[in-house]
Amino acid sequence: MYLKKLALAGAVSLMGTSAFAACSYENTVPLKSLSAGFEAWKAVTDAMAECGNFKAELDQEFRTKQPAAFEANPSLYHIGGVSNGTVTPLLNAGTIRPLDDLVAKYGQNLSPNQLIKVDGKTMAIAMMVNTQHLMYREDIFNDLGLEVPTTWDEVFAAAETIKEAGVVDHAIGATMKSGWNLAQEFVNMYPAFGGAFFNADNSAAVNSEAGMKALETLAKTLPYADPEVLVSDSTYVQQQFQQGKIAMSNLWASRGAAMDDEAESTVVGKVKMAAAPLAMEGGAPATTLWWDGIVIASNITDEEADAAFRLAMEGLDEEMVKANNGAAIWLVKGYEPGPLAAGAIATATASPAAPPYPSTTQMGLMHTALGNELPAFLTGERDAAATLVAIEESYATAAKEAGVLK
Amino acid sequence: MKFKTFFWFVAPSVFMMLLFIAAPLVSVFIQSFQVTQPVMQQIEVETCTPGFLTQTCTTEMKTVPTIDEETGKTITTTSWVGFQSYANVLQMDKVWEAISSGAVGDILQIDFWKALRFTLMFTLLTLPLVIGVGLMIALAVNNAAKAFKGPIIFVSLLPFIITPVIGSLSIYWLFVGDGILTATLERWTGQDIAMFAQAWTIELLMYFYRVWHVAPFAFVIFYAGLQTVNMDTLESAIIDGASRFERLRYVIVPHLMPLIIFIALIHLMDCYRTFEEIVGFRSQAHVISLQWLTYDFMVPDDAGNRAISRASASAMLTMIGIVVLLILPLRRTWRDHKGGAH
Amino acid sequence: MSKATAQPLSLKVASGAFLAFWCLLAAFPIVWIAVMSVKSPRDAFAASAWDVITGPATRAAGTGLSIIDIVLGLAFLFFAIRWAFTGLPKLVERFSPPGLIVVGWLVGAAVFGLAFVLVFFGILPPVFGVINSILGPIGEPIIGLTTEHYQAVWGENQFYRNFMNSMIVTAGVVLISLTVGTLAGYGLARSGSNLAFWLLILALVFRALPHSVLVAGYLPWFINSAEILRPIFGDLSPTLYGQPWAVIAVLVSINQPFTIWMLRSFFQNIPSELDEAARVDGCSHFQAFRRVIMPVMWPGVITTGLFSFLLGYNDFLVTSLLLDAQNQTMVPAIAGYFNRETTTTDQVEAVAAAVSITAPLFLLVMVFQRQIVSGLTAGAVKG
Repeated sequence: MYLKKLALAGAVSLMGTSAFAACSYENTVPLKSLSAGFEAWKAVTDAMAECGNFKAELDQEFRTKQPAAFEANPSLYHIGGVSNGTVTPLLNAGTIRPLDDLVAKYGQNLSPNQLIKVDGKTMAIAMMVNTQHLMYREDIFNDLGLEVPTTWDEVFAAAETIKEAGVVDHAIGATMKSGWNLAQEFVNMYPAFGGAFFNADNSAAVNSEAGMKALETLAKTLPYADPEVLVSDSTYVQQQFQQGKIAMSNLWASRGAAMDDEAESTVVGKVKMAAAPLAMEGGAPATTLWWDGIVIASNITDEEADAAFRLAMEGLDEEMVKANNGAAIWLVKGYEPGPLAAGAIATATASPAAPPYPSTTQMGLMHTALGNELPAFLTGERDAAATLVAIEESYATAAKEAGVLK
Repeated sequence: MKFKTFFWFVAPSVFMMLLFIAAPLVSVFIQSFQVTQPVMQQIEVETCTPGFLTQTCTTEMKTVPTIDEETGKTITTTSWVGFQSYANVLQMDKVWEAISSGAVGDILQIDFWKALRFTLMFTLLTLPLVIGVGLMIALAVNNAAKAFKGPIIFVSLLPFIITPVIGSLSIYWLFVGDGILTATLERWTGQDIAMFAQAWTIELLMYFYRVWHVAPFAFVIFYAGLQTVNMDTLESAIIDGASRFERLRYVIVPHLMPLIIFIALIHLMDCYRTFEEIVGFRSQAHVISLQWLTYDFMVPDDAGNRAISRASASAMLTMIGIVVLLILPLRRTWRDHKGGAH
Repeated sequence: MSKATAQPLSLKVASGAFLAFWCLLAAFPIVWIAVMSVKSPRDAFAASAWDVITGPATRAAGTGLSIIDIVLGLAFLFFAIRWAFTGLPKLVERFSPPGLIVVGWLVGAAVFGLAFVLVFFGILPPVFGVINSILGPIGEPIIGLTTEHYQAVWGENQFYRNFMNSMIVTAGVVLISLTVGTLAGYGLARSGSNLAFWLLILALVFRALPHSVLVAGYLPWFINSAEILRPIFGDLSPTLYGQPWAVIAVLVSINQPFTIWMLRSFFQNIPSELDEAARVDGCSHFQAFRRVIMPVMWPGVITTGLFSFLLGYNDFLVTSLLLDAQNQTMVPAIAGYFNRETTTTDQVEAVAAAVSITAPLFLLVMVFQRQIVSGLTAGAVKG
């Protein structure tokens, strides 16, 4: 058996040396990329590396490094991996270049849906979408005769039944780790109640009826969720699902594949996907749409940009998607949505549809303020009204320091 | 030693410290009195983002930084704001309000004071524990049979040498959710226990982790100190009829006193800037520390904003705190320096 | 046994029990992650301790240990560790050139570690496999155990590159820290001037600084250094970001305060008559330092070096921010397994990586344990 493994390793390394096998051309310009490190990025950068002369940096600190590294002259990286959240600082600083001429040259396989346009100029190429939507244990719902909930009220009703039946530890799993995750839950809920985050003069507007309702809904999940919900992030909720400890959750689409992973999951085939629940009748699903994609730096030569874009297109081709169909909800041609993508598609095509994450400078500040002030509400130190006031104050301090509020 | 010789001996070390510690420190000090902002402008932007199958385009007013056409860099303005950033961190108006309304507990809802409360308690509560546990292990090891000493010292040092990130995670895993120790506790007590659901249990775990991590350091230093205890003094103490405890109290502890102060000094400094525990135990919802607060101001959000001025102010406040804490133990060093140097 | 150390039985029992309890407390979390690292993801995060130890899912997947494996493996482990404490020191002392005992130890430890890994993971499994198949029922696995996570970490994920980077950074930090620190420590110990005192106090304040402030301050400078330095060095000016030597410089600086304090108190305990005598013979301060002090300073230097090693090896904040993927060290690489999008398998691989990076620390402490105690005893911490 050992010999076999050795032989296999040898074969793999042989394939490595006879590079460019899977790439249609040989890349001669040395290129580097910086992106987040999740599965889809691994797939894309691996496909790009097949063309040679390419170094990918998959870094969990990319958020901190990217703005500064792209501002350097010459830029430290040619290709950047961004989402609609993290593209904002690059757009604001003008460190990424318009891609229209490159799209005309190499982008025959791109669909118009993939072109992220700001003021008519293509600034990024999206490769996948991600959103939080409902995942539930079909077997439990069938046993208890429950319908798939479409609103949060129905979620709580179902949760009550599941709790009484006592079939799982906690009826609802929630990604409410204090900080970014918890703030994101509020960002999902608040616009779904019809709330707007800002007034016209950039001051915060969360101290409103919608704000109270959003907080109420967050608080209502607590009795059905793990008491340690303030430390649970998506990975933790995913594990709880896999170990059969929770019955449903509003979880990231990119986590869906893990439910059916034989090696990790005890609930293979039992978890089904549905659209994110509505916060109120006739409203949009209480979630936000995200995309991930690539950008090209401005502070590099046109030749490098040309080579970088060509390489990126090679990474985002049909072949890569076919090989990694389950890794993400791809926007690239050749993607075949499986049952796991059903929830994300239902969420994105709902009417009215869930809004994209509103990425602006103010929203970044608001997200931080939410993440810092919401925990006190959920631990019961502060009531809802005081929390909303605290969020607005915290935002105002930060916004004045950042110069967006006079 | 002549000044010139002294200078050449210390120059490389001082140069490195000046370049990599003092220079950033000075810039932090200056930034705590400044605010640097990009010049913002309001523009109307149409943004198109992908849905599934079709795009959604929205047109809205956005506030974005202005970019200099020539250099391609963001235009920023820097202004002196005095103690504004300190005021933003300390929020004294709210503190006075809380005091005057009699609800002193409300002060602990303000991030800085919350962090200060925890940091001080964390530092001062673990200090005696670390010294006590360290001393007890040292005495016990000193008592142990010779054959066991080597392995015991080895095992004892493990918590100290292990990478802190990994050490705190290993303890976190034992307790989080139905981690095996929580599950065991639940079986014993018959109650549902959630260690990370309330502040005091998390704090308790953090105290435990810190003592577990640092006590071995205290131990090995005390153990080394015990090897040099003057046997004659001990013998004469026995002849004088001193009890075991009296010998410990009047011979051994005074002998170890310089070491105790050394440990206390190091421990005060390291504890006061505690950070790994907050991240490792994910305690942000319940307890935060001063360095975590600084770090939180400093890390950029998705939109790239950092609160540099408040981060600098909070860093300077942390510094002031540590200097105050260190004054007591340092008075001794000053006396030693004046008395014992050559 | 002298009267001073004679003890009543009750005290002996109490102190023994306390020690046993402490050892359990000290070792348990570390042993536990080691157990987790050899189980399938489902077992590793199982709620019942028994499931984690026996690993039913891992065993079901067809990998495990039989009674024979366990007994023989433990026996081998026991003798290997015992030999590390008894045979190895003698061997090292016999073969290392005089004066270079430290190097001898490092080489000895590395060879021992390598041999151990080779025998334990390379030779024993196939041998045991044969024995098990001969013995039949007793040879059936009873405990689930898999090395797949280690293979994934060191093979697929090329963790050896992170290992090499860690070694480069750590070696650099220890060497430079000690060279620079020894000189400064000696100077400070022999100078009674007020300047020396205030330097020490300043160093102490520096040590108290929150690191996150410093490190975040470096980042823009490091990234833009090529542009900033261009007027001085022209096109040769380097981008400091991602350079191991730049990180070494930062870590050395951050570690200087502790190093010079330790070494200063150590040098203070070397009687100054020693180097004064040499100076009377016509040596300069530097010559006196080299000829008289250097031969007697090793215990203190080794101890201080160990602390530098721990700092360089364990650092997370500096290395994660200032190094790029190609030069990343082990600790930030492990933290990379825990980012926002991660799977349970990733987490168990992270645990395996965590156990792997602890192993060299084990070896180091095993080898240098006596030196730590004797170095500290010799006075590195007297004031």
